[in-house]
Amino acid sequence: MNAWRTVRTVLAKELVDALRDRRTLLTVLASAVLMGPLVLLAISGLVASLESSADQREVVAAGVERAPTLKNFLERQTYRVRPAPADYEQQLRASSLTDAVVVIPPAFETELQRGETPLLEIVSDSANQRSVASASRLAQLLAGFNRERALLSLALRGVSPDLLEPVEVQSRDLASTQTRATRITGMLPFFVMMAVLTGALTAALDTTAGERERGSLEPLLMNPSERWALVLGKWGAVASVAMLVAVLSCLSFLPGQWWLRSDTLAAMFQYGPAEAAQFLVVLLPFAAAVSALLMAVAIRCKTLKEAQASTTVVMLCASLLPLVNLFSLGEEAPWNLWVPALAQNVLMTHVLKGDALIATQLAVPTLLCVAITVAALAAVARVLRVAAVR
Amino acid sequence: MIRIDALSKSFHASGGHDGQRARFSWRRRTPQIVRAVQSVSLEAADGRITGLLGPNGAGKTTTLRMLAGLITPDEGRLQVDGIDVTVAPRAALARMGMLSDARGLYPRLSARENIVYYGQLHGMSREAAHARARTLSQMLDLGALLDRRTDGFSQGERMKVALARALVHDPANIILDEPTNGLDVIATRALRESLRWLRTAEGGAKCIILSTHIMQEVERLCDHVVVVARGRTVASGSVAHLLAQTGQDDFEDAFVQLAYGPSGTLP
Repeated sequence: MNAWRTVRTVLAKELVDALRDRRTLLTVLASAVLMGPLVLLAISGLVASLESSADQREVVAAGVERAPTLKNFLERQTYRVRPAPADYEQQLRASSLTDAVVVIPPAFETELQRGETPLLEIVSDSANQRSVASASRLAQLLAGFNRERALLSLALRGVSPDLLEPVEVQSRDLASTQTRATRITGMLPFFVMMAVLTGALTAALDTTAGERERGSLEPLLMNPSERWALVLGKWGAVASVAMLVAVLSCLSFLPGQWWLRSDTLAAMFQYGPAEAAQFLVVLLPFAAAVSALLMAVAIRCKTLKEAQASTTVVMLCASLLPLVNLFSLGEEAPWNLWVPALAQNVLMTHVLKGDALIATQLAVPTLLCVAITVAALAAVARVLRVAAVR
Repeated sequence: MIRIDALSKSFHASGGHDGQRARFSWRRRTPQIVRAVQSVSLEAADGRITGLLGPNGAGKTTTLRMLAGLITPDEGRLQVDGIDVTVAPRAALARMGMLSDARGLYPRLSARENIVYYGQLHGMSREAAHARARTLSQMLDLGALLDRRTDGFSQGERMKVALARALVHDPANIILDEPTNGLDVIATRALRESLRWLRTAEGGAKCIILSTHIMQEVERLCDHVVVVARGRTVASGSVAHLLAQTGQDDFEDAFVQLAYGPSGTLP
């Protein structure tokens, strides 16, 4: 019989089977659809709260009543000074206080008048990210206070303030707005890839290890069908589910943008239909390869439970490899494109940075995905007969 | 018509593990060779029900799996209507309807969809497969079950659907591995009637092989019996012939003598 008809028959049956597993399918699809908006919402919430604390222009200080000069300086910089709570150390540790605290010693004012360089402490907790951000702002502010005092003393002694700054330093940031945004939105590709992986997982396990566990693989192989046709049909169904998840999660970022609470982030995060399409060009081969790979691992397992344990390795690799990109702090090596999962992450990060996808860059990861798909499916077809009777 | 000649098959089994896992173990275990089938021969003619009778572990299921092309035999020949299974497994499978030891259904598909799926895999058109499902449903009394998902089916109901699925392409050769497992008296009787009818000329004069360890089944149904023990064919003939050969009145006694030797224990 025509092998391609077998492929179609198996594909149709597996799709119906997957579609009828409503609860699993809905969970997978809902998480794919909701992921984009939710991740963006979380990021925008974070950025917005950072921005608002920068906008608030507030300084938390312990013992500010002992330092009228400093208070005066801060107020001239239009900062409001708020007294620190008594248990500020504890609150910082517990992250319930998100501003760094300036601790002013009792003899601050008199020491300052006598020129004895009193000590100001900036207290933050490096495990409390937002207090660190506010600490660096505070340090700059206090450096300004230092400079002002120094200039005043020099001016009193008739020295030109220029002597204090023989060199003028100015910094210039080369990063475009979008590049800066990828520091924050850099994890989006990772989330999309995880969605594709989990989407493929249930379907891949059900058509392989699930079939063995139910005892339906042996009768299936007693049909006069080509084994590769059976495998191809099954893979087609798994890959369709994975690709559907990929499409949904890529599109979910489009409406997700509407909810961006931070204007800066909304300006930086350029994600339109063109970017979604480029994401898909990168993701669809990945979805195909991951489906085949998961099937190849799962067909060796007798039960769904065993298969879940085995496929954890694949899931772990696919979720850890993209992190190489994070650890190397964005420094990209050419070999990155030769590592599946990492390559997809790199390319999607390019898209987010606003770089166009280059065909030569796309070629290697895509061909690798095709190779993985073919090799994994061949492995499934080879093991299928042995798996049926074991 | 099915012919099996001097079939043999050995497996490598390692202590306590199945073969696949042993490959990944730290130290190499000395493989144990299990001779599942040593010399099984049988001839099942058309229009006859041939019983494959043997104790547990005699090699019945392994033999049938080799017949289905799932396991490659070490030695011996398997022929289905003159087609060698090892040479043209798919052509042979197309001429067989096999109800194997594993008879899992797809729980999210209805009984009808389960049956039609196999029909289509056998190359039947959708319409033909649906028509055949209706015919089989009458023969096996599936009735109301047909459009229910097989998820909550009882063992007997599953069994009937699996049987219908195996017969969907109206095969000339029917091989049933312990088909009455889990069936109640009425269902067993109905199955027996169906098999008797399939044996007749108007039922298609099918060649039917029935593997079982239930004596009653064999006595009531089989025209020809092949007794398998310890991986070998130890006797064959009609029930009457085997009774005469052993000099017993009771078929169970005759079987025990043939399978286990005169003392009634494995040598």
